[in-house]
Amino acid sequence: MKRLWIALALLGAIFAGTLLHIRSLHGFTDRLSTLLGQAEELAEAERWEQAAALTVQARDIWTGRDVYLHVLLRHGDTDSIYTAFRETLALLESREYGEYAAANARLTTQIQLLYEAEQLTLKNIF
Amino acid sequence: MVIAFLRTIILYAFIIVGIRLMGKRQVGELEPSELVLALLIADLAAVPMQDFGIPLLTGLIPILTLLCLTMALSVLTMKSVRFRAVLCGRPSVIVENGKLRQGEMKKNRFTLDELMEELRMKGITDLSTVKYAILETNGQISVLPYAAQQPATAGQLGVCGGEPGLPTVLINDGRVMERALHSRGFNRAWLEKQLKQHQVSRTQDVFLLMVDEENKVFLVKKEGTQ
Repeated sequence: MKRLWIALALLGAIFAGTLLHIRSLHGFTDRLSTLLGQAEELAEAERWEQAAALTVQARDIWTGRDVYLHVLLRHGDTDSIYTAFRETLALLESREYGEYAAANARLTTQIQLLYEAEQLTLKNIF
Repeated sequence: MVIAFLRTIILYAFIIVGIRLMGKRQVGELEPSELVLALLIADLAAVPMQDFGIPLLTGLIPILTLLCLTMALSVLTMKSVRFRAVLCGRPSVIVENGKLRQGEMKKNRFTLDELMEELRMKGITDLSTVKYAILETNGQISVLPYAAQQPATAGQLGVCGGEPGLPTVLINDGRVMERALHSRGFNRAWLEKQLKQHQVSRTQDVFLLMVDEENKVFLVKKEGTQ
């Protein structure tokens, strides 16, 4: 019977761990999306330096959790988001609002999709 | 990750049901849950091993989940007869008192050819000599001939000799198994005496030397030695 409880405890621990991961990912992606949204609003108001500062801040938050993201998410997804950050920052420097807005929207969507793919929904399970 | 965890549980249950529906013939020596575990673990381990773009945890979490599920199921099958019957099935009597139970064979999708093959493999050619043939939950067939058809034992014939017991290896490919030698209460002098009796001068020239519980020695010389 002891083995049964150990097995059930381990299953419970894995389940709890995965739920914690989802919660942490939700907070993380929400924070990044908010920062990128604010950056876009600033860029629209032609406040390019402040927009760039917010985007750099978002990128730093992203790279700060590089190991965590690399261990838990598909490397292709994390690499493409890092590339999108660089593209968005380059477009911010060129001050081309149209292209920047498109790249920023792509980046925000990619970040939000990370959470959506991990969300506990019937759609994702099946 | 939670998706991988839940998908693993769903797929594991789904494949176990599938294997159970396929019948006992498909199982082959393993119980359904063990077979499913063996089928899935190899694939789960191979994917992150080959694809570096996938985190290792993607393979580890489903494997750990499977191991926990199997451990839980194995405990439950030990504790509950009913659960064991649901998970592993029940043995099916295919032949009873020399008569084929065709309904049972049909239920297990077990053909006559397969039954005859199994009987031949057990040295039985005449079905009427079989009292019971049972299709076990692991897919194996147990055959019990009529008492009159069973070979007589040494005890029944009254020719029962000594009990040689379990033989112990004392020399393995020229190496003396010191621990086994001493645990049997022998020493090097006894060993040398045995070698001399078998016209062997050195332990290195012996491929195998065993001694049974009646101290009967069996010796095989190494090939190419005099």
